[in-house]
Amino acid sequence: MPFQIRGRSFTAVVLQMTGAADAEFYQTLDAKLSQAPHFFTNAPFVIDLDRAVGLNRSGDFTGLVRELRARKLSVIGVQNGTIEQNAGALTAGLITLQGGRDLPPDGAKARSGDESSGEEAEDRPRERPIDRNDRVAAATEAAEPAEIAAGGTVLITEPVRSGQRIFADRGDLVVVASVGSGAELVAHGNVHIYGSMRGRALAGVNGDTSARIFCQSLEAELIAIAGLYKTSDDIGPAAWKQRVQAFLDQDALCVEPLK
Amino acid sequence: MAKIIVVTSGKGGVGKTTSTAAIGAGLAMRGKKTVIIDFDVGLRNLDMIMGCERRVVFDFINVIQGDAKLKQALIKDRRLDNLSILPTSQTRDKDALTRDGVEKVLKELRDEYDYIICDSPAGIERGAHMAMYFADEAVVVTNPEVSSVRDSDRVLGLLSSKSRRAEKGEEPVKPHLLLTRYDPARVAKGEMMKVEDILEILSIPLLGIVPESPAVLKASNLGTPVTLDANSNAGKAYVDAVSRLMGEQIEVRVLPPERRGLFQRLLGRPA
Repeated sequence: MPFQIRGRSFTAVVLQMTGAADAEFYQTLDAKLSQAPHFFTNAPFVIDLDRAVGLNRSGDFTGLVRELRARKLSVIGVQNGTIEQNAGALTAGLITLQGGRDLPPDGAKARSGDESSGEEAEDRPRERPIDRNDRVAAATEAAEPAEIAAGGTVLITEPVRSGQRIFADRGDLVVVASVGSGAELVAHGNVHIYGSMRGRALAGVNGDTSARIFCQSLEAELIAIAGLYKTSDDIGPAAWKQRVQAFLDQDALCVEPLK
Repeated sequence: MAKIIVVTSGKGGVGKTTSTAAIGAGLAMRGKKTVIIDFDVGLRNLDMIMGCERRVVFDFINVIQGDAKLKQALIKDRRLDNLSILPTSQTRDKDALTRDGVEKVLKELRDEYDYIICDSPAGIERGAHMAMYFADEAVVVTNPEVSSVRDSDRVLGLLSSKSRRAEKGEEPVKPHLLLTRYDPARVAKGEMMKVEDILEILSIPLLGIVPESPAVLKASNLGTPVTLDANSNAGKAYVDAVSRLMGEQIEVRVLPPERRGLFQRLLGRPA
């Protein structure tokens, strides 16, 4: 095959607008940008329209995109807009994004550290993934009692229900209960499930090819490590309902029983 | 202080309204002051199942919007003294349900009744969310088939994250599983899911197993809760479920489904 299609998470910079794109807006923006001229180079920009009143006509967006791109800000989309705003944004070549969540403060700190060292932000957008926009609704429901232990491990003791999504954004994810079909476990590190696993498990979502998935009873819809995935059809009957681990071996996702 | 119980499922057509009517009637038969509320705004059905559709003057939405007093909208059941019905509007939609409005009505009902049963609409949108938001307990109605089980799992997730109890960090909403349209013969043939498998997936306590029964459809069409039909196995199953809901320990019986007689089958319609 001449190409591969994979899911990948990126961090975007969100510009929360609180009014129209007037002279004052551009003036303040320029002042901000002058503080760190190269900081936003190549970073994808998303405009949050939640509080942007007075920005409605499609002309507004075309002008806004032109002005922002002239400042080397790569605007890719909008979010939280009204129907009119979304339509205007579409005319200006922007996509409508949903969901996402803000980075934890320590991530913000690491970011400003980069800034002072004056590094080019070449691969910065890959540093920390955010929620992919197609998983949003569930993300807001992932209010399960999650305990974040030292080292970023997330421990879940209640069943993970269909539609819920648990995200361990710093380390491993350990679930000591069953995971329903249609539920999703996502971790930067390894994923452990000590219960029936009927949902989806994605380990090493940041590209960590050494991440593994451990299951007490594998009945998963999908398992993925660092973007390589297998659906339940691909997993095959031998591993079904078995205690298994999944890992990457030279770009191949292997599922082997635990001895 | 009344206990608020939501009857919900996610999936449509599994028997939420039938179960609401049957459980409400069952509680009233046991001497509990009970009110059943229809949250399916725009698709008003509970009043028909209860046989009081001709007595609806004001509804739940009128009360929420302050156009009528709660007393004017409540309909007293003619068969059971302890039972009242709060019908919903057929002309409005779910946006008419406001959280403050629902809370105000429930607060007023709480002092006067022992049980408030909320009949949730299908889906997981506003109507269903409002029906489950203030609940203390939930009856999750599930059919023995995979899509219904998965939707129930989804609803259980919402109960544990989107209810008032979850938001306030109080004791979680207590879930009960009510299996309906269960047919042991079809389970034996592998056409339906087994009780054990469903319990394993959902991992919540079982409130009851209601067998597939023509008595249910008959009861709906007559406007009589099936609990009042003491001869039907479905009615008996609901009576048992009500006892368990009241905290009694009763062994779960799997009652056989009632088949249509040869004559009815020849006529091609249910009894």
